[in-house]
Amino acid sequence: MIGAALYLARRSLANGLRRRLARLRQPKYLVGFAVGLGYYYLMFLRPRFQSAGGGGLSGSAAEGIAILGLAALVGIGWLFGTSRSPLAFTPAETHYLFTAPLTRRQVLNFKLLRSQLALCLSSLLSVLLFSGGHFPATRVLRVLGLWLVFAALQMHSGVTALVRQSLEEHGVTAVRRRLGAIVVLAAVAGVAALTLRAQPPTLQRAFAVDAASGFDALAALLHQGTLGVLTWPLAALVRPALAPNLAAFAARLPAAVLVVALHYVWLVRSSTAFEEVAVESAERMAHRIAAWRSGRRPPPVAGAAKRARPPLTRLRSAGSPLRAIAWKNVQAEWRGSGVRLPVLIGIGVVVVAWVASLGEAAGTGLQVVAVLFLAVGAMTVVFGPYALRNDLRSDLQLWDLLKTYPLRGADLVAGEALGPVTVLTAVGWGCLLCAFVASLAFDVPGFPVPERGAVLLAAAIATPALLGITTLIQNAAVLFFPAWISLGPGRAVGIEMLGQRLMTVVGSQLLLAIALIPALIVGAVAIAIAGVAGVTGVWLAVPGAAGLAVTVGFEGMLAVAWLGRVFERSDPAAEIGG
Amino acid sequence: MIQVQGLTKLYGSLVAVDDLSFAVAPGEVLGLVGPNGAGKTTTLRSLVGIIRPTRGTISIGGRELERDPVEAKRQLAFMPDEPRLFEYLTVEEHLRFTARLYGIRDADGRIPALLRELELDQKAGALPDELSRGMKQKLAIACGLLHDPTALLFDEPLTGLDPAGMRRMKQTIVERARHGAAIILSSHLLQLVEEVCTRVLVIHRGRLVAIGTIAEIVATRPDLQGRSLEEIFLALTGT
Repeated sequence: MIGAALYLARRSLANGLRRRLARLRQPKYLVGFAVGLGYYYLMFLRPRFQSAGGGGLSGSAAEGIAILGLAALVGIGWLFGTSRSPLAFTPAETHYLFTAPLTRRQVLNFKLLRSQLALCLSSLLSVLLFSGGHFPATRVLRVLGLWLVFAALQMHSGVTALVRQSLEEHGVTAVRRRLGAIVVLAAVAGVAALTLRAQPPTLQRAFAVDAASGFDALAALLHQGTLGVLTWPLAALVRPALAPNLAAFAARLPAAVLVVALHYVWLVRSSTAFEEVAVESAERMAHRIAAWRSGRRPPPVAGAAKRARPPLTRLRSAGSPLRAIAWKNVQAEWRGSGVRLPVLIGIGVVVVAWVASLGEAAGTGLQVVAVLFLAVGAMTVVFGPYALRNDLRSDLQLWDLLKTYPLRGADLVAGEALGPVTVLTAVGWGCLLCAFVASLAFDVPGFPVPERGAVLLAAAIATPALLGITTLIQNAAVLFFPAWISLGPGRAVGIEMLGQRLMTVVGSQLLLAIALIPALIVGAVAIAIAGVAGVTGVWLAVPGAAGLAVTVGFEGMLAVAWLGRVFERSDPAAEIGG
Repeated sequence: MIQVQGLTKLYGSLVAVDDLSFAVAPGEVLGLVGPNGAGKTTTLRSLVGIIRPTRGTISIGGRELERDPVEAKRQLAFMPDEPRLFEYLTVEEHLRFTARLYGIRDADGRIPALLRELELDQKAGALPDELSRGMKQKLAIACGLLHDPTALLFDEPLTGLDPAGMRRMKQTIVERARHGAAIILSSHLLQLVEEVCTRVLVIHRGRLVAIGTIAEIVATRPDLQGRSLEEIFLALTGT
């Protein structure tokens, strides 16, 4: 079994590398490879700084942070995880292994063994990333320690997926499926709260000294009483990776191996539905691969059929086709998004507001909430167009269908881009409004409420314009370089693909900067004119934002007309080999 | 209804379709047959505006596809072998969406009737993920028929259908032709072509090899007299 697994891993690696090297004969992959290689050098190998064992944090503080991180990962996995197993079999593995004279445990061992190469590589890259270009012999211990952490996490996710799959098969609803996890996590949170109930002043004092002392105090708390018992498996798992030398590593290793071994036993005992889950996953994967290869949209990932959420608005069967396409993309965002991100952001806002309110220098919780909403709003404008991809970046999977529609290319491009811009504008405006409302509760010296209103208005005017132009640039990238952009949710891997993505990102940023130059000039002119007309202070931001928005809007119209012609002349077969 | 003149499509030095000319009249079902790689799919995709021909003209209902694509496409429906559906639109929303794209004025009255006719009314609120393969195919057909197209193109229409689905699909093709639509059907299933098509176009290496009724084709090749369509096809394409 071990021999077969190693043979498969070795040959797959060798053949995969050979294929990638052969692909480098094409200039677009060669250039991408060179850029990707440069990126890896800069990120991982270039000497940057002398790492001083944890970057200023003590061993116990680093351990505390690692425990909290692992606890968060495990909690999120149980609360929001899917029934997709990290140990999903490929169609070929299913065909060969499940029909071979092997026991279920042998098949599972095969899969676990085969996945170790990827886990080892991930550990190595993770350590390299934070090594600052220095790789003393002790770093090898960190790689090995991290490998144990990843192996345990992989098996833990496998158990989570099997439990979810089993519950789904028994018709348990989504809420009831989460009920067990919610009860357990609530119990753990209760224990944590009881342990910590008298501690805030201690923590506050420690954080007031400096962050390192604060984290030291937090780590000490995690090892106290019942909380210490609960966090022991996590602590045991992370300690070898944080060991300062070989002796410490050897001393901490048995406990970590014990945790990994217990996970293995848990996984094997949970695998009653293993074959069914694995085969079903393999079939789904086969369908997806076949769909991608034929240049079509793959079937959805989730195993169980999704129920349609009621639409945000009902589409009338008569009206503008452009708005119909935008409506479709908004529905896709609405129905495709889970509750995970908003819930996590909400929890994050509350936690950060609470932690910030502990320190003496920090303001009230509402001040922090206002700042956080502004930060989320700003991130929505800057990063939102890259994250929301329900436009041409998603629909070009159905390129041939889009081309059969009786629409002008410009209408189609405008409709496609309008969907995510509408959603992001709503989120951005919502954040601005929340920040403004929260700011009503406190005074800011020299910044009265009416002036805050002026800034709110200016930001609200600029938001859709900035989102629009960024989204259009992303859509332009996918129209001009479809082979360089991942269509849909999937992402191609490899150094050359990373390089191509980097070039696309840099090109997009350059284009955005060029697009903003005339807009900023017009905005400045508008401010000057308003100044002459008697507008003063912060209120000047409003005409400035209007000038910027009008200019960007005009640029957007030109871009839509141009991209529409590009779409009309595009050939899906030539672009993505469909 | 469908006029193709000198259609040529080149991919670099590869000639996918070479100077293809033919016409399909209203009420006619033209079977497009040929071996793998003959250029059938390229021809179909050119006819519906997915790919641009290198040379030649295509007219749908008197509208040239290159010059007036919007009006030409308004008369067209393309039924690919795999139904193309949007992941997050329900069955009914697919139809409403299609109605908006094609500017159908009386869609509110036609959608429920079409859903009933295709036995999809119980699934009106379902996402494609909740549908069986056959139901997805039915939905794709419903979207294709909603605007009452006068030119229909089918690519391997029986792929993945059960016997009942196959029968319904054949009935749909025949009925649409009876109502005056011009239809092109591309398939490797010669039995289907023989059963449904009024004429056959045989294409090989991108070039038209033969076109006409089976009797007309045999008349030009007396050596094929009394042979089955399969034997005629193999003889014409040299495969």
